[in-house]
Amino acid sequence: MLYVVLFFLAFSLLLYILLAGADFGAGIIELFSSKQNRTVTKKTVYRVIGPVWEANHIWIIIVVVILWVGFPNFYNIIVVYLHIPLTLILLGITLRGVAFVFRHYDAYKDKTQLLYDWMFRVSSLVTPIFLGITFSGLISGDIIITDNLESTNFYEAYINPWLNVFSLSIGCFFTGICAFLASIMLIGEADTNERKVYVKKARIATITVITLGFIVLCIGYFEERVFISNFIKNPYSLTLIGFSALIIFPLLRSIKNQSRIKTRTLAGIQVVLILLAACVSLFPDLIITSNGSISILNTVATKEVIKTLGIALIIGGAIILPGLFHLLKSFKMIKLLER
Amino acid sequence: MDNLDAARLQMAFTLIFHIVFACIGMVMPFFMVVAHKKWLNTKNPIYLTLTKSWQKGVAIFFVTGAVSGTALSFELGLLWPEFMKHAGPIIGMPFSLEGAAFFVEAIALGFYLYGWKKLPEKFHWFTGVIVGIAGVASGILVVSANGWMNAPSGFDYINGEFTNIDPIKALLNPGWFTQALHMTLAAFTATGFAVAGIHAYQIYKKRRVELHTKAFKIAITFGAIAAILQPLSGDLSAKDIAKRQPVKLAAMEAHYHTTKGAPLYIGGIVDNEKKEVSYKIEIPKALSFLAFGDFDAEVKGLNDFPDDVKPKNIALVHYAFQTMVGLGTLLMLAGILFFISLKKKAWLQKKRYWLFFFLLAPLGFLALEAGWIVTEVGRQPWIIHNVMKTKDAVTPVPGIIYSFYMYVILYSLLTMAVTWLMLRQIKFLNNSEIN
Ligand code: HDD
Ligand code: HEM
Ligand code: HEM
Repeated sequence: MLYVVLFFLAFSLLLYILLAGADFGAGIIELFSSKQNRTVTKKTVYRVIGPVWEANHIWIIIVVVILWVGFPNFYNIIVVYLHIPLTLILLGITLRGVAFVFRHYDAYKDKTQLLYDWMFRVSSLVTPIFLGITFSGLISGDIIITDNLESTNFYEAYINPWLNVFSLSIGCFFTGICAFLASIMLIGEADTNERKVYVKKARIATITVITLGFIVLCIGYFEERVFISNFIKNPYSLTLIGFSALIIFPLLRSIKNQSRIKTRTLAGIQVVLILLAACVSLFPDLIITSNGSISILNTVATKEVIKTLGIALIIGGAIILPGLFHLLKSFKMIKLLER
Repeated sequence: MDNLDAARLQMAFTLIFHIVFACIGMVMPFFMVVAHKKWLNTKNPIYLTLTKSWQKGVAIFFVTGAVSGTALSFELGLLWPEFMKHAGPIIGMPFSLEGAAFFVEAIALGFYLYGWKKLPEKFHWFTGVIVGIAGVASGILVVSANGWMNAPSGFDYINGEFTNIDPIKALLNPGWFTQALHMTLAAFTATGFAVAGIHAYQIYKKRRVELHTKAFKIAITFGAIAAILQPLSGDLSAKDIAKRQPVKLAAMEAHYHTTKGAPLYIGGIVDNEKKEVSYKIEIPKALSFLAFGDFDAEVKGLNDFPDDVKPKNIALVHYAFQTMVGLGTLLMLAGILFFISLKKKAWLQKKRYWLFFFLLAPLGFLALEAGWIVTEVGRQPWIIHNVMKTKDAVTPVPGIIYSFYMYVILYSLLTMAVTWLMLRQIKFLNNSEIN
């Protein structure tokens, strides 16, 4: 049952990254669009993510719930040592969510739209940076686990693990992935004459992500981060990254050809491969601290709890996944019919 | 202010904020589907206008509820890591089911909001019903988690270790039913009166009277029924508390001296130093009867509980309880008044009638917040009743006061923004022609 729970954990996290990532990315694309494209993008973004917006973001709640029920000690470390970036993520999620809804449901469309728009775009950029930073806080190797927190220096305990060049580079890398996912998604959704714009954006995004990924590796290597040195020594991780590198060329070609399904599939695989590579090199030691690693398998709740949680997840999944699938499909069908 | 107080303030503040939006997001869908149903049955376009307008309200409140809820689900860990470390595995069950309920709600809402003219009529309407049901289900589930904090069960607590965890038993803890019932009714009362009050004001101002009268009727019918049932369910809660949390009962009543045939106090000023209540109205033996169903039962007073197991702020608990019960009685009477007015059409022409309901608008929510203060402050110093103290659960991270300030600023701005949006919504509704 433990592995069922772990599967759901990974699955929810993956979906959060793919779906909410594309969702954040949409705001980033809007931010980096020229004035006349912005209005078009705003409309397209709304059409695409409007119906699924809520659902996309619930995945993070599922992740949190699984962690606190199934892996209480693991969760405990995150919420204590990464308190500050988590709070900033929440700030970002709040501002972004309300801006997105306000700008659509405000009864009058007047000057205030400008405020909502900027709030939405800026928080779309900042939130994933902090998501990336928080994740990298776990693996930066700077967390100092101690029972005597009162006597540790505030900066070293609560700031240094996440506020450093390495973490910042991972934050930017993750943000790049979001923009990449969004641009790929928008190619498929835009009308024929607008599609060109997104094709260009998708190409820029792809190149940016590759560059940022490379920068992360370099910084990690020169700063001798344990995560990176394990990563480049791990044959499986390297193979996976190798595959993802191979995909880049067909991906760029299919972006150019504007083929919808193929581009999306390839982009999805690309991101999954990168994440998988990171996971393979980490698992099960998902937290790297200044004095050793912490295996998620050592933080598991009791058998009974895992069993109940697993059953709950299976039942929940059986209800939710078909519903979600149906939602996506219905609006796809409707869009196709409208064309 | 020390870190513990800052964390408590932040928790209280964010919950007090969340509950308003959550309740509206939970109850408004019901108003919306009733209006929608009437549109389908009568094809009276006024109902369509109303449905669409309420739908925007639902969307706005849903998202504010959702983001503040997302913040809360992190906050439980961010502020009370020791609590979550132990309680997480035990009460995770309601929270995971709640996650599922949210999901169903969000999916159904996606169908509803975007399904106009695209989905088959009946199915479209039904997705709206699912939004409402899933919302109430998730509300009940969270409250069951809170019930567990008041009536912990489903584990053995030996030498500081939680063993033999049974999540199902924790979910169905002895507190869940009375609390969930009372809370669900409260949500309907509060939202019903609030929405009805807003429309009553528009009628009072003679703006689009036909539309607002229809809206008023739908909202107040839900509110009035719930308000009439509320005292009954409150009585069940009180009897429950008397059994399980006698300290809380004593604090609610500011009852200091153990007595047989204890009187019930109405009003009064609490003096916690002298341990007395002055300027109160006393109803002889009523407390014994309300708590135990026996006029001569003994009710244990605060003086007979050790200092480290009773809440510090007795006055707050007492005043909050008085507020809730007072407002509950008023709203119940108003509910009865509404049903009488259905027979006496002449009343509806009177401006006073509409002004009265307008003035009631905030009172349901006031009662609801007061009730939560009774429950939560009355549970202190425990975070898990008789098991874990709040001070042992708080985060070691210093400077929580700053994140408290951040939430105060953020949520104050949000409240203003949402209020402003609602005012614009009403203005738009009043200015729009039918269709
Ligand atoms: C519209 C709101 C509202 C109204 C009119 C009332 N209540 Fe209430 N009450 C609540 C809203 C509420 C609440 C906010 O929903 C609480 C907090 C926790 C809970 O489960 O419900 C609550 C808690 C609560 C508790 C404590 C339960 C606990 O700690 O577990 C008691 C004893 C009562 N109520 C009793 C009453 C009585 C006797 C009322 C008579 C009129 C009444 N309430 C009206
Ligand atoms: C939404 C309605 C609720 C309101 C308005 C509310 C209000 C409050 C208040 C005023 C406090 C501070 C008490 C004090 O420290 O003196 C508090 C504390 C707390 N509440 Fe609630 N509460 C609500 C629901 C819940 C629910 C459903 C849960 C859990 C599932 C919960 C969990 C907590 C926790 C963990 C604390 C901090 C520990 C403590 O002070 O005991 N609350 N809440
Ligand atoms: C500590 C306590 C609480 C936590 C951790 C919490 C958590 C959450 C979360 C994560 C969401 C967002 C779900 C989404 O994305 O749709 C949410 C929304 C919601 N919450 Fe809470 N909640 C708490 C207290 C309460 C209480 C006391 C109630 C009511 C009885 C309540 C009722 C709701 C409802 C109905 C929603 C759906 C949103 C809407 O319809 O507006 N919550 N909550």
